[in-house]
Amino acid sequence: MHKDEIPPGTLHMLILRSLARNGKMHGFEIAKFIERVSSDVLRVEEGSLYPALQRMLIKGWVAAEWGATAENRRARYYHLTPLGKKQLEVEVSDFERVMGAVARVIETA
Amino acid sequence: MNWPSEFWRRITNLFRRERFDRELEEEMRMHREIREREQREAGACGDEARYAARQRFGNELKLREESRDMWGWNWLENLSRDVRFGLRMLGKNTGVTAVAVLTIAIGIGASTTVFSWVSTVLLNPLPGASNPERVAALEMVAPDGDWKSTSYLDFRDFRDNSKLIESMTVARSMAFAAGNETNIERIWGELVSGNYFDVLGVQPAAGRFFSIAERDDAPNAHPVAVISHAYWMSRYHSDASAIGATLHINRHPFTIIGVAPENFHGSMPGEVFEIWAPATMLGQVNSGSDWMLQDRKTRMFRVLARLAPGANIEQARAEVQSIARRMAVADAATNEGMSATLLPMWKAHDGIQSPMLGPLSVLMAVCGVLLLIVCANVANLLLARATSRQKEFSVRLALGAPRSRLVRQVLTEMLLLAIGGAALGLLIASWLSDSLRWLVPVTGIPSLIRPPIDVRVLLFTVALTFGVAILAGVMPALHAGRENVNEMLKDRSRSGSSSTRSRRLRGLLVICEVSLAVIAFAGAGLFVKSFHVASAIRPGFDPKNVAIAHVSFSSAGFNLQQADSFSRRVQEQLQREPGVTAVSYSDFVPLSIGGDSWEDLQIQGYVPGPSESMKIYRTVVAPGYFDLMKIPMLAGRDFDLQDDKSRNPIQPVMIVNQEFVRRFVPTGVGIGRKVHGWGAWFTIVGVVQDIKYFHITESPIPYFYVPARQIYRPEDGMTFYVRTRGSVEQAIVAFRREAQAIDPAVPVFNTISLNESIAGSLFGQKIAASLLSVLASSALLLAAIGLYSVMAYSVAQRSNEIGIRMVLGAKPADIVRIVAREGLSFALTGLAVGSVVAIALTRLVSGMLVNVSPSDPSIYATVVAFTILIALAATAIPAWRAMRVDPMVAIRFE
Repeated sequence: MHKDEIPPGTLHMLILRSLARNGKMHGFEIAKFIERVSSDVLRVEEGSLYPALQRMLIKGWVAAEWGATAENRRARYYHLTPLGKKQLEVEVSDFERVMGAVARVIETA
Repeated sequence: MNWPSEFWRRITNLFRRERFDRELEEEMRMHREIREREQREAGACGDEARYAARQRFGNELKLREESRDMWGWNWLENLSRDVRFGLRMLGKNTGVTAVAVLTIAIGIGASTTVFSWVSTVLLNPLPGASNPERVAALEMVAPDGDWKSTSYLDFRDFRDNSKLIESMTVARSMAFAAGNETNIERIWGELVSGNYFDVLGVQPAAGRFFSIAERDDAPNAHPVAVISHAYWMSRYHSDASAIGATLHINRHPFTIIGVAPENFHGSMPGEVFEIWAPATMLGQVNSGSDWMLQDRKTRMFRVLARLAPGANIEQARAEVQSIARRMAVADAATNEGMSATLLPMWKAHDGIQSPMLGPLSVLMAVCGVLLLIVCANVANLLLARATSRQKEFSVRLALGAPRSRLVRQVLTEMLLLAIGGAALGLLIASWLSDSLRWLVPVTGIPSLIRPPIDVRVLLFTVALTFGVAILAGVMPALHAGRENVNEMLKDRSRSGSSSTRSRRLRGLLVICEVSLAVIAFAGAGLFVKSFHVASAIRPGFDPKNVAIAHVSFSSAGFNLQQADSFSRRVQEQLQREPGVTAVSYSDFVPLSIGGDSWEDLQIQGYVPGPSESMKIYRTVVAPGYFDLMKIPMLAGRDFDLQDDKSRNPIQPVMIVNQEFVRRFVPTGVGIGRKVHGWGAWFTIVGVVQDIKYFHITESPIPYFYVPARQIYRPEDGMTFYVRTRGSVEQAIVAFRREAQAIDPAVPVFNTISLNESIAGSLFGQKIAASLLSVLASSALLLAAIGLYSVMAYSVAQRSNEIGIRMVLGAKPADIVRIVAREGLSFALTGLAVGSVVAIALTRLVSGMLVNVSPSDPSIYATVVAFTILIALAATAIPAWRAMRVDPMVAIRFE
């Protein structure tokens, strides 16, 4: 079964979105969430979450701390920072603009 | 947008790399394990579940690498690996490393030294002032284009009429006799207008500066003074009680109101002052006469102007010129033909920057040439070594290192060499930069002769280091990047294309080096010759065995009678000294700095041309001056003791020089002619031979002398001349002793031999000649080393070819010829290119040369001969080695 690759550049937005929605999450939960809300259409190569998360840590969009899961496993939990919230708005509005333009192109064609 | 905190996060995490790795791994492992369990729950068996989880996750190793990359550490780790490896390689090749580091140290050391001078003298003319770039010097311009100081009245006109200048201050440097009642010493200070510190933007370190009330133009109303930080420290131990204390200046009590900040030394670039008092106190410090403040002709003040916000110096200069034009009409009697200009401080004529500008520019340029040679030389060394490192490079390439990695490795090693050289160079510079004191002309005022190695100089050195690394490293680096793996891995493929290319490159570099050295050498030769020509010019007087001493009568508060009796007594006392043959005094020392006073003359029987300036330079002298100086009296008589004001009516007399007669007396007989000046008619009683007055290279200028007993000008002080048969030092000691004995309060300073004093007039030539010789010799030496290394390497590489030639019957002489031909062809090509460029470039400095043409054939002949000699010397050892090649060994080796 063919799964669509995630469009480049949207991974950040998806992660930001997940965190905005659910507060603290660890890597697997984020992957799971993206999978679920996109009804499995967009499938991330799951591991690529981690370089992306590192990048966002550098940028200061997310922060991380270690905590315990429900099964009492050690896990790194990520959450949005105020800077990340702002970034999400920027990315969403950028995305909508681009998608709107694409949609218009398709309609007029 | 938020990069500082981002940068901070990168840095802090840099030190937690291991933890980072651990945590990332743990995180990823957990992810995979949860997924695996999920798969198992969905029905997959153990291995399948693990496999599926792995597949969904992606290449973990690569992802971890990617995550680490995000932080930008790889770059740093590569760098540190390059550095460590580079250090090891440099350590292995101690010879090459030492030569390269030393070479770079010479280049960077010389450049940093000269730059520290430039920085002190030219770039930072007013230390301690705020926004010094907005401060400019206002100077008057005489009809002949010469610059002049400004009179107090002219200053007031400029001050009151200028709109583009925010504020303006005057300053007059003066030697004060200062101290308490018991201990008087000679201290240099400035008489300034009240807004002086505001104009310069200086805040007091203690106390206050001049108040508004103390800034009016009322004469002698405000006996207050500001002292320097150094003076405060040494005389008052930095005690607050100094504020309000009484300081005697020229025997008048002044109240100390404030202390200038530590880094502030006054308004004359390069000179150090200790006391500042209001200019309106001039009358008092000058024994009661303040006519100088009321006389437009007495141009004795330096003027500093702070530009108004928004105004640039060109606009302000135009405004100053238009004000000067109006003044030239309104005060035609004194200002006719006078103009004014506004100059940035580094171009101003007062201060050490003015005579240093030319020599420092030339020095800086030659340092640039030297640095280029250094770069070429180091590049050469690295190229030679790169050839011997071919194996290492090809192995790395074969193992999959990208070529960029090799380029980076070579550049890193080059940078290490440059840093080593720069460190050593800085050491040299910190040791040499002090020697600026030997170069600064003697003005009498203490100079700021300790150029600090400050932030600016350090930045310059850092920039230089990177510049050298890039310039010297680029060729070897590109060369390393172009290695051909296959060809090099084959053993002994010496004749490969890359090694030919390397040889060609090195030949080119050596030609560049020789050309650059020729340029430096030719330039130095010109200045050396010019210095010799200038030193050989006879000044028209005999400076040998003459001591001079400056005496400030105004500091001592002397009037004419006191000054007269002082000089008479000094003369009497000194003539009893063994060896002393003559004593006299004058207000001017020929070929020294300053002292160019003139008078507007009207000469009987001479009608000046419409634009001819009759401002004629003059000196006030005492009887016996011409005899002492051995200036021949061509007609008439010397002044005598009767040439004073005692006769009624006074009979003013003057002595003129030959050129004066030639220009202004049509009959050619000067004696008896009447000349009008200072509001009186003088009679010419003597004609003396021309001497050099201001510059050793000047053409004859009309000049006249008046007797000190008729025209007394105490404000500039007098210089005593003592001719002795014995040692000049003894004469100086005797003079100081006698002067002290007669009146301990008379400040005596600048005691020096006349020979030394006039050497100052040649100092620019001397610096240029001596320093350039040193630099050019280094350049030539480096070029010789470069040539030697290329030739030695070439011989080593060709030993096989040489061996074959020998087997085929070539004689040692033939071998030597082959090697010498190659070396000489490099040298001669460099010589030709260098000479052409040198002839073109040296035209730029022709203005600084004395009677020497920039393309002087004798200099170029010397350069050619010397270069060939050096080239032969550099080729001799390799040629000798080539001759000794054992054909059997050479061939078998292959």
